[in-house]
Amino acid sequence: MRFAVRLSVLGFIFVGLFSVLGLRLWFLQVAEGPAIARATEEQTWIQKSTHALRGDIRDRNGTLLVTSQFVPAVVVDRTFVQPEQREGLVQQLSALLGIDPGELDQMYEDANVNGRFQVKTVEPQAAYLINERLDDLPGVEIVKIPERVYLTGPTLAHVIGHLGLPNAADLEENPDLPPDVRIGKIGVENVYEDYLKGTSGLQEYRVRGGEIIAQRPPVEPESGNSLELTIDLDLQEVVELALEEGIALSNSVKEAGRADGQEFFSETKNAAAVVIDPNTFEVLSISSVPDFDPQQFVTGIDEETFAQLNETRAFNNLAVSGLYPPASTFKAITYTVAEQENLPFPSDIEGVNAADRLIHCDGTLELPNLEDGSPQVKDDWYEPANIGWRDIHGALEQSCNIYFWSVALGTWQNRETVGENIIQDWAKDLGYGSATGIDLTNEVGGVVPTRELFEEWAQYQIDNPDEPPRLDRSRLEAGSPFFGGDLMDFAIGQGSFTATPLQVATSYAILANGGQVMEPRVVSRVVDTEGNLVRSVNSPVLETIPISATVRRSLLTDLGRVVTNGTARAAFEDFGEGLDRVGGKTGTGQAGSNRDDHAWFVGVAPLDDPQYIVAVVIEEGGSGGRIAAPVARHIMQYLMGNEPTPIVEGEDTD
Amino acid sequence: MTLLNRVREVAVQRRDNRSDWILFGTMLTLSGLGLLMIYSATRSSGTFSMERQMIFVAAGLIIFVLASNIDYREYRSMVPLASGVILALLVAVLFFPAIENVNRWIPLGFFNLQPAEFAKVVVIVALASLLAPRNPARDELGPRSLSWAKIGQAALLVAIPGYLILREPDLGTTLVFGFIFLTMVFVSGATWRQMVTLLTAVVLGSIAVLRLGLLSEYQILRLQALLDQDLDPQGVGYQLIQSKNAIGSGQLFGKGLLEDGTLTAFEYVPEQQTDFIFTAVGEQLGFVGGVLVLAAFAVLVWRLLVIAANARDRFGALIAVGVAAMMMFHVVVNIGMTIGIMPVTGLPLPFLSQGGSFYMSMTLSLGIVNSVWLMRTPVPGENQLT
Repeated sequence: MRFAVRLSVLGFIFVGLFSVLGLRLWFLQVAEGPAIARATEEQTWIQKSTHALRGDIRDRNGTLLVTSQFVPAVVVDRTFVQPEQREGLVQQLSALLGIDPGELDQMYEDANVNGRFQVKTVEPQAAYLINERLDDLPGVEIVKIPERVYLTGPTLAHVIGHLGLPNAADLEENPDLPPDVRIGKIGVENVYEDYLKGTSGLQEYRVRGGEIIAQRPPVEPESGNSLELTIDLDLQEVVELALEEGIALSNSVKEAGRADGQEFFSETKNAAAVVIDPNTFEVLSISSVPDFDPQQFVTGIDEETFAQLNETRAFNNLAVSGLYPPASTFKAITYTVAEQENLPFPSDIEGVNAADRLIHCDGTLELPNLEDGSPQVKDDWYEPANIGWRDIHGALEQSCNIYFWSVALGTWQNRETVGENIIQDWAKDLGYGSATGIDLTNEVGGVVPTRELFEEWAQYQIDNPDEPPRLDRSRLEAGSPFFGGDLMDFAIGQGSFTATPLQVATSYAILANGGQVMEPRVVSRVVDTEGNLVRSVNSPVLETIPISATVRRSLLTDLGRVVTNGTARAAFEDFGEGLDRVGGKTGTGQAGSNRDDHAWFVGVAPLDDPQYIVAVVIEEGGSGGRIAAPVARHIMQYLMGNEPTPIVEGEDTD
Repeated sequence: MTLLNRVREVAVQRRDNRSDWILFGTMLTLSGLGLLMIYSATRSSGTFSMERQMIFVAAGLIIFVLASNIDYREYRSMVPLASGVILALLVAVLFFPAIENVNRWIPLGFFNLQPAEFAKVVVIVALASLLAPRNPARDELGPRSLSWAKIGQAALLVAIPGYLILREPDLGTTLVFGFIFLTMVFVSGATWRQMVTLLTAVVLGSIAVLRLGLLSEYQILRLQALLDQDLDPQGVGYQLIQSKNAIGSGQLFGKGLLEDGTLTAFEYVPEQQTDFIFTAVGEQLGFVGGVLVLAAFAVLVWRLLVIAANARDRFGALIAVGVAAMMMFHVVVNIGMTIGIMPVTGLPLPFLSQGGSFYMSMTLSLGIVNSVWLMRTPVPGENQLT
């Protein structure tokens, strides 16, 4: 091939390459050009969002609990910093703010090329000083950013909740969330986030060479809506203090007991209480001990403090997330079912008078052979004394286990006719076994044991032998894992049965209001900045359970007998005027081996027209009559207008 | 006196020939456009970058004039010396402190010398010297064949500096060497069979390089970024997206030279004044401007091939072909990169991109080719393409 021909071949290849470039250029600039031009036009505008002021939170009387204010913050905008100015800026600014230059440089690095980042909020004086020197600090701005102010400190912390930066899950759920904006993490701060947060504003401008050359009209931020809680702050303070004193009482009782050679396993640390209006299901007070100060999350909480608080369950609202056996407080429910459904009595058992519905409460119940491996003799561990023949009224007053065991035994023996799950079904209707739906975070539902559930558990246990077992191994080998003894334990609020203090309170509220089921609420209204109603958070009646007026009246009367003659008599001794108008039920929950009993009391007041249900649990606090009843009495004195008397030891009762 | 005599000997005997004014004019036009584009891309921080480039343009033009006036045939005897110097510099550069993680520059105070740029010119001349017969009797431009031994020598000649440059690392420049080698071997008379074998070897070699991990992580990332341009949107991917946005949004007639509100004005395209200078053309002057720049390069390459066809000997012809291959590769890879059909390899655009060593090596190579034109056969026409 001649040289010239080879050159020509080369020439053709080169022409081909030029054509490819030209064609691609045509495609990019002429075919796709207009679309690309539209997209890039927006790109040259820098967008800066301005945070909105978060809405306030007030209690039911209008007392301000949480508000927001603007505080000065130092912000660096990289758009206005030339690369060669970076080092000097970092040095100067870190010296001015007293922070580590390396840390500041990392913040700078992490912001995008044209990004903004907030260095820290500063005191007004410091802001003034920096403002004076802005000419030497390229890209530095003092901006006003909203900051949350929690006026009541740790009081009501579990209801209010706290803010925090969004985590990965939050961002996945809401991809438009600016990663530097603080959102509600728990409590109403979280549940009502959409109302509280308001709408961010927007500033758009173009920058060249560190100068703003064009601006679009800014969009102003809109403040968030405010919440009005159903909580009464004064009551809340009384309740929180009473729980602390109840814990102290429990520990001093344990200490004295240990000196006498009694065995206690733990130091009492946790407690929870709920006060609810049974007519509206408005929560007047809800507390959990220990608590935390939401203000700590405003400036940023260090990991060690967080871990420490987390360890003590300070962030858990035990009133909605703590699960305890409801123990003898549940006897009021068994009572109601027995009376309303006229549950059959067991036959052919010594100490049972089925005709007159009397039980001989002598501390022991000898059972016929249930053919399922249940113990043949059940001892009342708490009322071993012989208190003679009792009807249901006297049994509730003295919290006689034998009586309510017998009711369950009668149901078990006649399960073919009355249905094995009749008591459990009532419990579920009254809200046990599933979350109540309160407008708070992390609520749990608890367990109502039934044969179906036990069979499910047994199957799961067989399928997953490596997981911790829920049922004793011997049950897996029996014909059915659910025994008659389980129903009997359930009837006195024990066994696998667990519930939250809120569930116990709402179940009593339903009994007290004649059967109306509602969702409990801690927020009553959402209002805008001018005070106009945005949303009324009222709770409709979801269902009405048929409870006859006679049964309701009889229950309320017998709850009154508990505090005048029964297990809470000693605790209510110095209640003062109107003792005959209040009532309640003690409970002492077995927590399991090597743990102390949970102390319970559920109060109802006034008995003639119930306005308050008070549920108190002192976790591993000991006897309900001794520890929890005095705490509840103190709260009920306040509710009924009496001067609350000191929380002192009551009688050691079930 | 001896020196003066030597200068007279080396100086081009002009006879009746004149410089290739089309070549020179195109070069000058592109250089002027380059200054304007560099200014447009850096104007927010002043005229510093443009002024600096103006110095290089001035120096480059002096180099062009000097090279034009030296008889290119003198270089043949200088090949061993020049090769030695350039290899020494390529080794030395690896021992100087890295700038932005690469060892490409030798700092000289007033500017950073990039030996790899001058190595391209030396390799072109050395290849031409190797492939062109020394015996004038055999040096006619007719058909001839190339022995495998010769091809092997040529391969070794590009492989040594190519490897050193790959170590800097500068994959783009190494690839330029490969393209120059293939083009010059083809024009020198390699058979189709030899070409196919060589191309196969290049493909297998590339696969081996990828497989053996001889490329650094960022080079692989750049190749991946070409295939998946949403990858690494902060780094190379970002550069590619902004580059295509700038060019695409220029549309048919561009947004206008030095217009406000362009991505160029806002410096949205990283490294715009160097490797991505074509984005400034595309955005401000549009498709029309971009095609005119392509046309200018086409004219340049056309003149280089014409000069090759009219050279008085094969040595001169091969130099012109080698320079044409170098220009072509730079243009295709650089512009192709900005419009998303070539990987980001860091090859600048001749005469437009900011950079001293590169600009001067380009004018040096055109100066040498102009010398080939000036020394062409006194009776033109015999082997002309035109």
